[in-house]
Amino acid sequence: MSFQDVLIQQVINGLSIGAMYALLALGFTMVYGIIELINFSHFNIFMVGTFISMLLLQAMGFNGQSTLLYGLPLIGVLTFALLATMLATGLLGVVIERLALRPLRGVPGTAPMITTIGVSYILYNIVLLTQGGTAKNFPNPMPPYHWDFGNVTLKLREVLLWGIALVLMIGLQLFVHRTKLGKAMQATAQDQEAARMVGVDVDRVIVTTFFVGSSLAGAAGFIFGLYYNYANYQIGYTAGLRAFTAAVLGGIGSIPGAMLGGVLIGLIESIGGQLIAVRWTDVIIFSLLVLVLVFRPSGLLGTAGPTKS
Amino acid sequence: MRLSKFAAVSAVALAAVAGASWASADDKTIKLGITLPITGADAADALLIQHGFEIAIQEANAAGGIKGMKLEAVIKDSGTATAGQYDPAQAATNTKALVGDPDVMAVLGPEMSGEGKAMAPILSEADMALITPSATNPDLTDPAHAAQYMPKGRPVFFRTVTTDAFQGPNMANFFKETIKATNVYILDDAGAYGVGISDAFQKQAEKIGLKVLGRDQLDPKEADYTTVLTKIKALNPDSIYFGGVNQAGVKLAKQMAEILPNVKKGGGDGIYSAEFLTGVGFPAVEGWYCTNAGPHLTDDPAAQKYVETYKAQFKTAPNDYSITAYDGALVVIDALKRVAEGGKGLTRSNVRDAIQASNLKTLQGVVSFDKMGDINDRTVSVFQFHKNDKFPLDDSGHQIAYIGVAPQS
Repeated sequence: MSFQDVLIQQVINGLSIGAMYALLALGFTMVYGIIELINFSHFNIFMVGTFISMLLLQAMGFNGQSTLLYGLPLIGVLTFALLATMLATGLLGVVIERLALRPLRGVPGTAPMITTIGVSYILYNIVLLTQGGTAKNFPNPMPPYHWDFGNVTLKLREVLLWGIALVLMIGLQLFVHRTKLGKAMQATAQDQEAARMVGVDVDRVIVTTFFVGSSLAGAAGFIFGLYYNYANYQIGYTAGLRAFTAAVLGGIGSIPGAMLGGVLIGLIESIGGQLIAVRWTDVIIFSLLVLVLVFRPSGLLGTAGPTKS
Repeated sequence: MRLSKFAAVSAVALAAVAGASWASADDKTIKLGITLPITGADAADALLIQHGFEIAIQEANAAGGIKGMKLEAVIKDSGTATAGQYDPAQAATNTKALVGDPDVMAVLGPEMSGEGKAMAPILSEADMALITPSATNPDLTDPAHAAQYMPKGRPVFFRTVTTDAFQGPNMANFFKETIKATNVYILDDAGAYGVGISDAFQKQAEKIGLKVLGRDQLDPKEADYTTVLTKIKALNPDSIYFGGVNQAGVKLAKQMAEILPNVKKGGGDGIYSAEFLTGVGFPAVEGWYCTNAGPHLTDDPAAQKYVETYKAQFKTAPNDYSITAYDGALVVIDALKRVAEGGKGLTRSNVRDAIQASNLKTLQGVVSFDKMGDINDRTVSVFQFHKNDKFPLDDSGHQIAYIGVAPQS
């Protein structure tokens, strides 16, 4: 393998991890954009998404990598599992908002943020106690297709991962910019009071934000399972932290910023690991984050200056 | 002032209550502490060990106990949700609790060397022995580290398996002599056990001319190893050795199956486990070699009665460490008997001395210890994960095939 091949391969690896981070970062950035809250339960909504899709696939009779599907049945099963997982985690996000966060709305200080950490630990421990701490073999009906370009390998699951991420991100962009609810979301993000005055149902906007953000986390969780054939109750931590970093790097509150940030973190992780050493990954990622924030405090695509009082 | 008075009064009251309960318990039961990572990634294999201890204790009680006194197991969980696997800090907390209970005469466990390193100094201070069926890090019984792990100077860390000082090097011999690997890339999981066994493997590999292409460390909490594997792929290795346990091992094996499908691969007893088998699953797990720091026992005719008892009681098959666990408990029970019948006081120090002097026929043969507490038998067995369609895919007794004894260094 020439050095050039290795680099191309690492770019493929990085884009795959990055696409997952980007989907996850969107949830952080959307909630922050609307109510200026860093939602730490997002870490484990992602993890719950992986488990929901795993249990769904197992209920459909898939076990490990032994049952493979091709063509239309494969697309059908994957689409169904994806949509069902997104719906389930979206509802989970709504429930968390209604039960744990709405009562705290308007409470100043860090109470709501600490609450999200609490919710995160509740989800984490529920999964640990009901599913056990062992490594799970995520059922994957996808055949191990791949294309070889010299020494560089492109796997079917990578293409699929990019595809799902891209479709969801375009869908989100259209939703935010073309629909009435999306526009209400933008208005609420700019100024909640003013939006309320012109007749926007702010509660509905916030619930929608949690639903959309959490369902994207569910999608990321499903993709995670398919990509690694693996699930464990701990996966939310590292992925969540990197995705949160991606949201900050891209400019928290900015949707294109979260996408860019996610892909960048993925690429930094793989190419940095290649050029320096894998165990230094976190040092590289967080040093770059500090540097970006020092020179551009609002992140790469964030808008500088206060939008709210 | 009022507060301290209150505290003093309640302390006296507590002591009185506790004292009363000790006195009444004293003539009836002897406690054996068990600490194992029952929460997290090590749980499946910890249970295989716990069951081995329990069977030995049940049989001893059924046979009348120790001079009429019943044995009682005090089970503590050393796995935590935060660590996701064994947690050395929790193991230390458990050990302090066991030391604090004067009825506890010896400790069974731990599963992992990382726990052992946290436990050994505390037990040394109390002069209480433990016996582990699976913790294989050599530092624990190495005279060079005696100040750290046996500050009181007397060995307290006994094992019914040999150490990584043999497990790592013998596997290096196996790589070179038996599977004819020409070079190797070594990965560890940053744990006490993983780093130690990888060091021992690497040293022997360099000595016998098995070229070491490189060495890297995996973060067990990280999900993605594709970066490091792509890096390794560029070196075109013939074989890979992984020193570590399941948490990193499962993810490594899954991702390796795709990035390096044709490489020869092996690890230590950290992946000789039911969890590695079910977590990785076929086809990715196919072909992995692993070792066990003792002779292979579950197919041994001498162990069949035990295997049947185990299956009947727990509905699953035992592995070799269930047998070394059973053997370990037998050693402790035998030591307790000798102390109780020899007329010496039933104290932790006397029990420790009796364990040190053991010469007991167990399922794996005669167990005796060298002066540091290591078992005198130094056999290392090699296994391979190989699909056997006649048995369920999660049956670790049949999907992990015994290959043979690794060449001794």
